[in-house]
Amino acid sequence: MAATLSTAVHTVEWSGEDVEVGDVVRALCQLREESAHEAEGPNLRTSVMTHLAWVPSEWEEAAVGTLAGLGERHPSRGILLFPEPDGDDGIDAKVSMLAFPLREQRRHIAAEVVELRLRGQTSRAAPSIVNPLLVPGLPVFLRWRGRPPFGDHEGDQLIDVCDRLIYDSNEWPDVPQVYAELPFDRAACSDIAWRRTEPWRGVLARLWPDVGEARSLRVRGPLAETSLLVGWLRSRLEREVELEHDDADELTEIDVDGHACAAPREHPSSSDLLSAELDQFGRDSVYEAAARRAVG
Amino acid sequence: MTEAPAVENPLLEGLGQRRTPEPCVLVVFGASGDLTHRKIIPALYALALRKLLPEKFAIVGAARSEWTDDEFRDQMEHAVREFGRDDFKQDVWDWLAQATRYISLDFADETKENDLAGLLNEIDEERGTRGNRVYYLAVPPQAMPTIVREVGERRKSEGWVRLIVEKPFGHDLASARELTALLSEHFTEEEVFRIDHYLGKETVQNMLALRFANGIFEPIWNRQFVDHIQITVAETLGVEGRAAYYEHSGAIRDIFQNHALQLVALTAMEPPIDFTAESVRNEKVKVLKAIRTPAPEHVVRGQYGPGYIEGKEVPLYREEEGVDPASMTETFVAAKLLVDNWRWADTPIYLRIGKRLARRETTIGIQFKRAPHPPFEDATTEELQPNMLLVHVQPDEGVSLAIGAKVPGQGMRIRTVHMDFLYGGAFRTELPEAYERLLLDAMLGDQTLFTRSDEVEEQWALVDAIVSGWARDRPAFPNYAAGTWGPAGSDELTRRDGRAWLRH
Ligand SMILES: NC(=O)c1ccc[n+]([C@@H]2O[C@H](COP(=O)([O-])OP(=O)(O)OC[C@H]3O[C@@H](n4cnc5c(N)ncnc54)[C@H](OP(=O)(O)O)[C@@H]3O)[C@@H](O)[C@H]2O)c1
Repeated sequence: MAATLSTAVHTVEWSGEDVEVGDVVRALCQLREESAHEAEGPNLRTSVMTHLAWVPSEWEEAAVGTLAGLGERHPSRGILLFPEPDGDDGIDAKVSMLAFPLREQRRHIAAEVVELRLRGQTSRAAPSIVNPLLVPGLPVFLRWRGRPPFGDHEGDQLIDVCDRLIYDSNEWPDVPQVYAELPFDRAACSDIAWRRTEPWRGVLARLWPDVGEARSLRVRGPLAETSLLVGWLRSRLEREVELEHDDADELTEIDVDGHACAAPREHPSSSDLLSAELDQFGRDSVYEAAARRAVG
Repeated sequence: MTEAPAVENPLLEGLGQRRTPEPCVLVVFGASGDLTHRKIIPALYALALRKLLPEKFAIVGAARSEWTDDEFRDQMEHAVREFGRDDFKQDVWDWLAQATRYISLDFADETKENDLAGLLNEIDEERGTRGNRVYYLAVPPQAMPTIVREVGERRKSEGWVRLIVEKPFGHDLASARELTALLSEHFTEEEVFRIDHYLGKETVQNMLALRFANGIFEPIWNRQFVDHIQITVAETLGVEGRAAYYEHSGAIRDIFQNHALQLVALTAMEPPIDFTAESVRNEKVKVLKAIRTPAPEHVVRGQYGPGYIEGKEVPLYREEEGVDPASMTETFVAAKLLVDNWRWADTPIYLRIGKRLARRETTIGIQFKRAPHPPFEDATTEELQPNMLLVHVQPDEGVSLAIGAKVPGQGMRIRTVHMDFLYGGAFRTELPEAYERLLLDAMLGDQTLFTRSDEVEEQWALVDAIVSGWARDRPAFPNYAAGTWGPAGSDELTRRDGRAWLRH
């Protein structure tokens, strides 16, 4: 994958303040026509998904960086929603058409990026703004930066628009308790923190059959990943496993019943992790069970 | 009464411009109305700009409003500037304006009709329009009988007459038959052009091209390969000042009876032997006749509650201006239709139409059956949807096809990819507005894209059968929030059969 990564060469853009959703729809059509005319080919496009991102202001920088890193891996329409509930009511928009050249091929992969600043009341009506912008007939992935307000009207509504909800529980202040509130029955859920535990889960799996009798786990790492790892062991082994936790920014050490495990070699980037989640479609029953048992 | 066969203009041969109507006068009844402003006049301007109108041509506007010719021209210039799809060109407008007259009349007042006849004779003399007339009835249904009678009684012996009639074509089967009887007292079926503007849309016509000009689709366009068809006609608008009309019609008469059933007919019809009006309409009528009356549990109605549309809060239907606060008018209908013929037996057509839905969209989806035996492991195809051909009628006119494709990289992972194709970009010409095409066709006498009386009657027969079942129960309205995809019962309709509406 990384071998084909490249930066977008060609962009056409439209932006406006205090716009209507209809203006954005028209801009998308128009930019598409413009870019097709320049490409001198038939106006064909392939796409596999709409990628939505809900990005409260404190997450803006991180979100844009991750999306840029995705590059051409998921030809799709990306819609970034920046809620500003305290502003005056209105929507500001920017639409860009990006083309990623594929190396050594005379082909481009196109991606559309729609950035919407939802000010005031409009931030509470996100689904009604997003619905007209989704690519018809394709799955919708929603990346929620920060902690979604599970159970609250606003959070709930946007979840109903998506087929898959992607979050990073490492960004939440209230793990592991909040794992009990995950909306598994409403959308397939993906947790990037869970994805980060994958190399370590591989290490632990290679300890089978001895690990089958594990009684305690000591983890040095973030609380989210740690809780998910112990939840995973408990649910897979169907037994109680005690947890001892040392806080750290990333997973660095794991002991099972006092024996240290060898650290895995992979260190995927945040774009790689998101990309892996965008490849998942159905519900992840192993994750769901792990999250349920993470609470205790 | 019968029309002389049109002589093809031999000078047009080789000019690439085969369609110019004969000299005629277009009389627009209801010239001060909304439809004239928003659609008819802008369409005429677009036709004039493209030199598609005959050289000898005139427009006469008629309504009660007391306007002079110049006042009417001013109004129409505004309309062209506001609603036209082209840049305003003064010379084109000047040409159209000098061909435009206005007459103030109340349809009930017979003497005024004589004034109109006088004006038309005068125009024939001045402009050489030879007694050829297109009458456009852009008036409320109750004004229609008088005009039909008056115009019918004042037919001239020279020239041809065509009558363009706007929906609604009646309120039920009985009133539709009355209207047909009234029209046929004075006009032949060949002279009556019932507009269903959906038929003027490029994509709708392209459904015929897609099916009958390509060898690859027709062989699989049947019950053996198609799992089901789903048609969505979704608006985000509410009643927008048309409450008086809508309260009586509801979604079933406003959209289902005409536009939606036209889409069903075009999608399901057999190949016509040629593309003449009679052949195409014969095939459409056969499909309509073959639609089984749906059982009550196969029809769902809804009425919208409050919600959000495109970021703005909107009220419930019962609070819209002019709507009865206890109204039982439906703003949403979903139905499962079965077409009882060899091609479609047991292949359901799911149809949903409504106001204040999640997005403005008209699509026809042909969901094909799954590959019978994919030789891949389940995990490699977990996200693979069955093939779906989506015809987008609006807002972007185009077609997309969902196909399974291998994800690049190691191993065999298969994922659904949509390939889509927008007409606008492919042909580098802007799509004409439906009304342009239809006005031109009417002037040319081509009825292919207009609805025939027996089609209208078949549509009403189905609607009457559905509506008669509604008298028995009172759903708890409102039952869906504005900005969503309708009531839960609509999802249930497909879920019961192990299927689902396209979610987005
Ligand atoms: N608007 C649309 O988008 C639309 C779409 C599809 C179908 N239609 C159909 O098209 C028809 C016209 O619709 P509309 O929206 O344009 O209606 P509208 O805005 O109410 O206009 C009605 C027109 O009829 C004239 N009129 C009514 N009664 C008359 C009488 N007794 N004598 C003389 N003139 C009379 C009115 O003129 P004065 O007020 O000056 O007398 C006005 O010009 C209706 O049948 C409607 O169902 C409309």
